[in-house]
Amino acid sequence: MTYQSEKSLELLRIGSGSPGARFRDGQEEAIRHIVEGRGRLLVVQSTGWGKSFVYFIAARLLREEGNGPALLISPLLSLMRNQIAAAHRMGVRAATINSDNLDEWSDVEERFGKNEIDILLISPERLANERFRTQVLARIAGQISLLVIDEAHCISDWGHDFRPHYRLLERIVRSLPPNLRLLATTATANNRVLADLASVLGPRLEVSRGDLNRSSLSLQTISLPSQAERLAWLAEQLGTLQGHGIIYTLTVRDAEQVAGWLKSRGHVVEAYTGQTGPGREELEEALLHNRVKALVATTALGMGYDKPDLAFVVHYQSPGSVVAYYQQAGRAGRALNAAYGVLLSGEEETNITDWFIKSAFPSRREVAAVLEALEKEPDGLSVPEIMARVNVSKGRIEKTMALLSLESPAPMAKQGHKWQLTAAKLSEGFWERAERLTALRRTEQEQMQEYVRLPFGEHMGFLVRALDGDPSGVTPPPLAPLPTTVDEGVVREAVAYLCRDGLPFEPRKKWPDGGMPQYGVKGFIAQGHLAQPGRALSILGDAGWGGDVGRGRSLDLHFSHELVDACVKMMGEWNPQTYPTWVTCIPSLRHPDLVPDFARRLADALGLPFHVVLAKTNHRPEQKTMANSSQQARNIDGSLAFCAPRLPRRGPLFLVDDLVDSRWTFTVASWLLRSHGSGEVWPVALAQAGRE
Amino acid sequence: MMALPLSPNAQAILLLTAPLMVGHAPLSPDLLTPGEYNCLARHLRELGRQPADLLSSDDGDLFRACQPVMDEGRLGRLVRRGFLLSQVVERWESRAIWVMSRADAEYPRRLKGRLREDAPPLLYGCGDIRLLTSGGLAVVGSRQTNHPVIEYTMAAGNLAARCGRTLVSGGAKGIDQAAMDGALAAGGNVVGVLADSLEKVALKRENRNSIVEEQLVLISPYDPCAGFTVGHAMQRNKVIYALADAALVVSSDVNKGGTWAGAVEQLDKLRLLPVYVRSTGESSKGLDALREKGALPWPNPQDAGEFEALFSPTMVNPPATQGSLSLFPEK
Ligand SMILES: Nc1ncnc2c1ncn2[C@@H]1O[C@H](COP(=O)(O)OP(=O)(O)OP(=O)(O)O)[C@@H](O)[C@H]1O
Ligand SMILES: [Mg+2]
Repeated sequence: MTYQSEKSLELLRIGSGSPGARFRDGQEEAIRHIVEGRGRLLVVQSTGWGKSFVYFIAARLLREEGNGPALLISPLLSLMRNQIAAAHRMGVRAATINSDNLDEWSDVEERFGKNEIDILLISPERLANERFRTQVLARIAGQISLLVIDEAHCISDWGHDFRPHYRLLERIVRSLPPNLRLLATTATANNRVLADLASVLGPRLEVSRGDLNRSSLSLQTISLPSQAERLAWLAEQLGTLQGHGIIYTLTVRDAEQVAGWLKSRGHVVEAYTGQTGPGREELEEALLHNRVKALVATTALGMGYDKPDLAFVVHYQSPGSVVAYYQQAGRAGRALNAAYGVLLSGEEETNITDWFIKSAFPSRREVAAVLEALEKEPDGLSVPEIMARVNVSKGRIEKTMALLSLESPAPMAKQGHKWQLTAAKLSEGFWERAERLTALRRTEQEQMQEYVRLPFGEHMGFLVRALDGDPSGVTPPPLAPLPTTVDEGVVREAVAYLCRDGLPFEPRKKWPDGGMPQYGVKGFIAQGHLAQPGRALSILGDAGWGGDVGRGRSLDLHFSHELVDACVKMMGEWNPQTYPTWVTCIPSLRHPDLVPDFARRLADALGLPFHVVLAKTNHRPEQKTMANSSQQARNIDGSLAFCAPRLPRRGPLFLVDDLVDSRWTFTVASWLLRSHGSGEVWPVALAQAGRE
Repeated sequence: MMALPLSPNAQAILLLTAPLMVGHAPLSPDLLTPGEYNCLARHLRELGRQPADLLSSDDGDLFRACQPVMDEGRLGRLVRRGFLLSQVVERWESRAIWVMSRADAEYPRRLKGRLREDAPPLLYGCGDIRLLTSGGLAVVGSRQTNHPVIEYTMAAGNLAARCGRTLVSGGAKGIDQAAMDGALAAGGNVVGVLADSLEKVALKRENRNSIVEEQLVLISPYDPCAGFTVGHAMQRNKVIYALADAALVVSSDVNKGGTWAGAVEQLDKLRLLPVYVRSTGESSKGLDALREKGALPWPNPQDAGEFEALFSPTMVNPPATQGSLSLFPEK
């Protein structure tokens, strides 16, 4: 196919919205390479260089010559929407099929059938989805003329962001015939990753590699151990920063907390996470059009996201690696001369990244349990059926299935909705990779801490070196460093804020699969026997009250009066209606007085009567040790009983416990109370069990 | 057990001839029939080229050069199914299913040598491919059958296993299954040649365990997701005979059905190996008719010595020599 350079330049100018735009070094060569079908190409260029323009322009030129559409594999939803908008600007008809737009699938398929789509964007997870592959992709796969793998470093398990689903791409690429056009792009491939990509995408892989330095970024690191200090820093500095930006946190909970705090201080910010739901798109728009000062986001708003005038990226905690940091900070200053990339480093970040590292792979025990359950069922098992058989959490089971089924050959495969063993055994290589990756993540974690300690002015060079780039062209930061201290008064207010919040939790509406045989219940819980929505004061072990609760449970065996006061305050703000007229609590054989004592003091402080009406009938392991909700339900079945001769009062009540995890205890207790004639039951817990 | 990396020729042959089934997507109307493919392969060979050359990116000239035997547009549409190919191959791989083409060195020589152009261009399978080279006893018969015949068949499979001979059969219900069960139970090796549904059959628990133990290999000339058709079942019979050194027919209709057709083809035309028919128990018109066409009575061997003698009776043409008749130069 012949390449048309005028048309190509025209598309660049329309797409970038700048009539004087010229191709970046290597950009046009890359487009030409793809269009002319000169073999597989890997483009490694800095963040914001314009890699997406290579494939959009190439796809458009290919289509004009009558070739089939392109398929773009892209890791993030936020990125896809962002890219679709960019594509449309240059007249490239782009569409996506993802878990958020199920209702549009058939429409997209139809447009595909009518040849009205130039490029289809999907995530690697979608590509691994059995239903999508057999029912949607199978119909269109025969026409794809170009496969694009964006953020291709995710393929390499030497990369900072190896994603198991990208392994599927490795296998797909391996069986792609040489006549299918293939383009892979990334900003973050060091030599190791590059070698890996060459072996996956090769053998004859052309590489276009350029300067990784980002001269517009002023990078800075500030150590502020406590969350309160960092909240205070943000509250003070956000107003002084020019323009609009992103504040990154490591967890969803932190994103929500930081956003809540900043809002309470009058800043126009919103939280953006993988759990934000359908409002995500609107938030992306709000940031693009400067309707918010900043989004407080997890990496759900990460790689590839393009807002040319984004003026700052502030990290509330250090990410797990400097390369991930380069990626995220790379959102800033793309079409500006100067922008900030500030990393706040805090004491909890190592725990969090540790947790990410530890939970990245299933344990041998988990794998063995799942395989054993499948071994016993010649016809296979669904995930809920596995949950009923093994003491492993749902999330962990799903992770295990996902990872094992991505092995090649895989020891299990999904046929319809059931998992079945295949004729292959899990190779030892799986565990070797798990170990190697864990070790690599540890090194990255250390390198990140090294970065945190760098003096101002040395950060960009460090990043470029970490990516095996050439640091000789690195220039001094274009902006002055920001203050590194915080106002004590604001810190105190941040502490108060952290301690104030309660966390709502919803009642369970259905008994577990298989019911609770000892209570003789199954299916949906009758409306009149449901618990009301409850509140937890804290998250176990977390900043705020989480630490006090932990100490009370395991060290003091007594909950402090501060916790009583905090609960009273939380319940006052909560103010459930109809307001309870009495208080009871969940019994325990392990610590018979701990919770009743606290509940009695809480009742006193609220001015309500306290009555014991429930008893524990036999000793069971702690709910915390049950790994999934089916197991937790079974553990609770028959263990609680109504023990009073009759109900002391009929009105609504507060039901108090120290910890809420699966919610089965509250569910059963509420059902007991209500079936003995009580009013509405409002659960109150001191803490929610930790992450996951 | 091994998963083969696809050779470029295998890729090309898959693109040209295979339905590449995932889900219920409509099949390409352009697929080449075995006859058309053979014709194209011959033409390419005359040009000094291979199927894989159709996949190199500067292929315009080659496509034009093929125009005399095959429409350029049709060829183009077929070989552009590369992404679909990667999808199905990935699906097979993840289920431990391999595929090889007649142009691959691993392709069983006895198939190529004995069937020549009738050798399936593609072979899909699950299990240890080394079992395919071991020859052995083929046992065939109809799906519908009765208990004594099943027992008889199991005993035959059992004996083959005890004598260290591989059992080759069709993997269908009835006789095929009985013969395979008999052999597997005695710890023997089994080759099951399927006419359909390889993917499903390979995942069946009994089969899976034998595959993992490297006792069983299931193969099929048809897409792992293909359903049953009479035509496929007939073609498949050729493969069963070609993989074995002697054959036993335990039941057959007269003048109809796949078992009859397959046996008659051997006796009248191909004569690759000695064909025996069951000689005890309930008599059968089909078996009698096969006797008239030259099938031998099964001598009901009792020990390894007698069993071995079955493989070299004096009156049958020796199996065709296993010369290389491959379409493409071997590596
Ligand atoms: N040659 C060019 N001249 C001017 N602007 C350009 C050019 N090419 C691309 N751009 C602009 O640069 C911005 C960044 O482009 P793009 O999102 O493709 O970057 P990227 O290389 O994919 O970065 P990342 O690694 O962060 O994903 C876009 O807003 C685009 O309009
Ligand atoms: Mg990009």
